[in-house]
Amino acid sequence: MLVVGGGPAGLAAAYRLATRHRTVGGEPPVVAVLEKSREPGAHMLSGAVLDPSALADLMPDWQSRGAPVAVPVTEDRIYFLTERRRIPFPITPPPLRNHGNYVISLNRLVRWLAEQVEAAGVDLFAGFAGAELLYEGDRVVGVRTGDRGVDREGNRKAAFEPGVDIRARVTVLADGVRGNLTKTLVERFGLDDGRLPQVYAVGIKELWEVPSGRLPAGAVIHTMGYPLPHEQFGGGFLYALPDGALSVGFVAGLDYRDPGFDPHTAFQRFKRHPLVADLLAGGEMVRYGAKALPEGGWHAVPRCHVDGALIVGDAAGFLNSMRLKGIHLAMQSGMAAADAALEAVRANDASAERLAQYAALVESGPIRRELHPVRNVHQAFAGGLLPGLLYSGLSLVTGGWWIRDPMPAHAGHTRLRRVAGGEPAAAAVPVDRRLTFDKLTNVHYSGTRHDEDQPSHLLVQDTDICRTRCREEYGNPCTRFCPAAVYEMVDAEAGGQRLQINASNCVHCKTCDIMDPYQIIDWVPPEGGGGPRYEGM
Amino acid sequence: MKIAVCIKQVVTRDWPVRIDESAAWVRDGDASFEMNEPDAYALEEGLRLKERHGGEVVVCSAGPARVAQVIREALARGADRAIHVESEDLATADAGVVAEALASAVREESFDLVLTGLQSDDQGFGETGVILAERLGLPHATIIMEIAADGDGAGRIRVKRELEGGWFQWITLPTPALLTIQSGINQLRYATLRGIMAAKRKDVRTVPFASPPPSAWNIVALRVPVKDKQTRFVDGPPEAAAAELVRLLRDEARAL
Repeated sequence: MLVVGGGPAGLAAAYRLATRHRTVGGEPPVVAVLEKSREPGAHMLSGAVLDPSALADLMPDWQSRGAPVAVPVTEDRIYFLTERRRIPFPITPPPLRNHGNYVISLNRLVRWLAEQVEAAGVDLFAGFAGAELLYEGDRVVGVRTGDRGVDREGNRKAAFEPGVDIRARVTVLADGVRGNLTKTLVERFGLDDGRLPQVYAVGIKELWEVPSGRLPAGAVIHTMGYPLPHEQFGGGFLYALPDGALSVGFVAGLDYRDPGFDPHTAFQRFKRHPLVADLLAGGEMVRYGAKALPEGGWHAVPRCHVDGALIVGDAAGFLNSMRLKGIHLAMQSGMAAADAALEAVRANDASAERLAQYAALVESGPIRRELHPVRNVHQAFAGGLLPGLLYSGLSLVTGGWWIRDPMPAHAGHTRLRRVAGGEPAAAAVPVDRRLTFDKLTNVHYSGTRHDEDQPSHLLVQDTDICRTRCREEYGNPCTRFCPAAVYEMVDAEAGGQRLQINASNCVHCKTCDIMDPYQIIDWVPPEGGGGPRYEGM
Repeated sequence: MKIAVCIKQVVTRDWPVRIDESAAWVRDGDASFEMNEPDAYALEEGLRLKERHGGEVVVCSAGPARVAQVIREALARGADRAIHVESEDLATADAGVVAEALASAVREESFDLVLTGLQSDDQGFGETGVILAERLGLPHATIIMEIAADGDGAGRIRVKRELEGGWFQWITLPTPALLTIQSGINQLRYATLRGIMAAKRKDVRTVPFASPPPSAWNIVALRVPVKDKQTRFVDGPPEAAAAELVRLLRDEARAL
């Protein structure tokens, strides 16, 4: 059994596969996990508030084993922000009540989970990316890892190490939001036929250390409104960890219309709001990161089983955008996939029909129970904040019913508005390097590192479009939506411009692959081990 | 050829370090760690010597429990076994203490060659290898750029040292000996899947550091360099202002 991706979903699958025989008997299977980051957890970025239910299902003794869940949530606050003011919500809507949940560092939780998985006998290979799927006919039979030691021009360097074919009876794809392998699998088999297009958001987060007494550990704050206009989806969060550590972040829907919008700038504005600025004053930013998240919900989940492979976690889109949580659903999907895969392998039949048991487990288990009632919520927000909120409230009563079910949705990049002739107005925000930062300074704090002498892992099929059509029609939004300053338009000969890709800045958030209006950017994994280092995030 | 390679785990280069409460060390609680770069080249050189002459490569590391990370990496790249001298105090210890810890692990086995990196990326004294040679009673050579292929590995070894100003020096020394290796001497290899699997079955001997010697020095304070930017306006008539500007650039900014 091969699991691609060492996040919550992949590691839950691996742990379940390695330990299931203790309850159902039989021989334990041979299980391996591939993870592209240099160390387990290094690419993990989330708020994060954890619903521990899935962890308890996976490992009933998680507490005595010392799972690093930081601190129980002590209070929930929700504000609607205007430019200067904050209006508290009179009540906390039930989906945002976090009693019994924990404020965590997902990086630490996943590092710990990786230790449990290895102790259970799983081979975990960190620093190896799944570059492509291996097929026999239409059956997935494993994964080829990426070549290492290839120079900028694609030539083999002295230390060249070719990719390795890893064959498995069942391959579990846990390659995360907009996973590169899942993307090819969905395309090849049309797994999203008849489903709604997936819609995404990008979350940008900083970890701060603030003077004591600002927020009690376990306090959870969510905001709506400023700096986003009503028609745009997104909001801010502040989660207080112990010892003055504070997670501050902003989530912006990747279905915005204004091509001049810059999520990083919106995040800086959010920090300048008095609510946030007062909490951060005198503190220190210690880490930065960004990651896309799948917001589409139940109707946007593709078919997740094919001959020889299953899709789990964020790769499949198991995230509850109403509760702003996905870690526990990712883990539930990993467990369900593991159970289906183990039975299939024991029956010596890893066909799609047999693996459809995974879909049955998702249907009958906690994932559908949680996602189905909120299946139309994100689509409702496409109409703006007010319709979104109204529908959210309604769905609590009706169980998600709507006149048109599924409520229609469009892929986010198709909603981008064209600008007549050139650069849209991208308002700047003052950068003081204490409260607000420019992208390059922030990127330094992501710890991201890639060997400079390797081919770009951001493949742009036709860069002519960048300097001609895109410049005219959208004013090169890639230079704004990327939160890591990867894309730059630089002066070229004859007064024109050309695209420069600073691939080594990349924090693997996938926003470009998602939001590019022409869908010509392909994010493929760089040399294994490259990427951010989100210690403590 | 029986080769010991001493490796150190250091905070990742470019990591935005912060000073801890004692003001005498960095906050390494959630820092990212990696193998000290020159040590990685020393390991690679050891592996190449073994491939050329046969024998065994043993990695030694002195440090807290967390250094298991770099030991595992070294085994995955091809080292045969490891010795871990474990003590929490070694995280901030001085070169003399670390050298003594390494000596306690290396002394009882008779190595033909002991390799270290020429200095560490964190404290950067470049002393540990030299003191270790002294403790072991071995001849040593520092800043090694090349180990000659013509030696038979028995008795004598010919090495190229880096001097100042682009000069090099070839010297021959008897083995057993200790060499401190310069970064860039070779091309590092990647750990392979096979290597990672094999590493799990390799022997890691963990030994306590029973009687550490007293520190030769103490870190009194650490400071993060402050980047400072000042603007000063030079007033007055243009000629006098220009003269004053030149004076400031020459005498105060020392830019001229």
